[in-house]
Amino acid sequence: MSMSEDSQDFGSLRRLLALKRHEQPPPGYFNDFSSHVINRIKAGDRVDDGVLTRLFWEAPWFQRLWVSLETKPILAGAFGTAVCVLLIWGVIYSEKADSEKAGVQPVATLAKPETPATSSVLIAGEAASDEPLSANRVSVAYTDQGLMGSSFAAAEPSARIFDLVPKPTKSDAVPTTLRLNLSGGY
Amino acid sequence: MIMTEPASRKASNAPDAPAAEPVPVPVEEMDLVKRVRDGDLTAYDELVRRYQERIYATVYHMTSNHEDANDLAQEAFIKAFQAIKSFKGGSSFYTWVYRIAVNKTINFLKQRKNKAQMSLDDLDFNAEHDPDLVALVSEKTPRREVVLKELQEKLNAAMQRLSEPHRLVVTLHDVQGMSHDEVAKVMDCNIGTVRSRLFYARQQLQAYLSDYLK
Repeated sequence: MSMSEDSQDFGSLRRLLALKRHEQPPPGYFNDFSSHVINRIKAGDRVDDGVLTRLFWEAPWFQRLWVSLETKPILAGAFGTAVCVLLIWGVIYSEKADSEKAGVQPVATLAKPETPATSSVLIAGEAASDEPLSANRVSVAYTDQGLMGSSFAAAEPSARIFDLVPKPTKSDAVPTTLRLNLSGGY
Repeated sequence: MIMTEPASRKASNAPDAPAAEPVPVPVEEMDLVKRVRDGDLTAYDELVRRYQERIYATVYHMTSNHEDANDLAQEAFIKAFQAIKSFKGGSSFYTWVYRIAVNKTINFLKQRKNKAQMSLDDLDFNAEHDPDLVALVSEKTPRREVVLKELQEKLNAAMQRLSEPHRLVVTLHDVQGMSHDEVAKVMDCNIGTVRSRLFYARQQLQAYLSDYLK
């Protein structure tokens, strides 16, 4: 099918559409139109458009994208799917990157046979040992029951959760003076 | 001073062929724009007067409602004034303000979708004597005005059934007499898109109005 306007006779329709040119606002309407606009501007009338409208005429490409998504459901579906895939990929990638960064390396070295198997696990990186949460070594005890029987035991007393919170030092303390003004008759 | 003739008048002179696009007055228009940037409201009044009829007509034909068209056209000009500093002159002021009006209107139409109500402007006296319309409505009919009124309502109802982009392209090209190129600039799309939308919109309208088309 040709898209040309001339490929089909729209003569009658165009003659009918001519009727719309005869629709006119009340007489004298345009005499005052500009003065209304100017008065509203002088009065500080602001027209606040939504973000979408503003984007439409400030970024025409956005309007084109929006119109094409609106008029083509398949394209909108594909676009939505692509966004979802991108989002999921981003989540997976960021988790992967986080775990690599954290350097979680479960080292399960078997100890002597007469003692329960223990493995040392580094929580976060050992390098950042000045940070309380980053360098505490805990031991994982393995028994014959596998994970069901496993227990976490702190190798050092500092592994308790409250010991991980940095204790305030004297230098951290901020002196404050509380003054109550009771002169107002209260 | 170079004044451009309102599109509606031009269109009624040559209803079959699309009227020529507005006479470009880039230098003078840009002078006015510069003065407006400096805060000269008289210059802006001149710009508003120059394009008010076409902006109003476009919004009116899109909404089929005089009150809505009045508000939207005024707001489009106010918005243009507020944003005049961001107007870089890449297009004419006329095209730029048209875009603002069109986008405001489309946004408005999306919001009011379920409560569309027509408030039509009256037909002018010339409508009864328009040869094209006389050809559609029998000359012998004594109640021609009544028939024209009914035809006007049916036509507007059919227009409102079109999607906004299709209604816009019919309004700008077939009613206001803009060229394809001018429509493409206002709608910020290519001419091929304008042509295809126009073709589809006309097909739709023809189907809706088949009882009135001979």
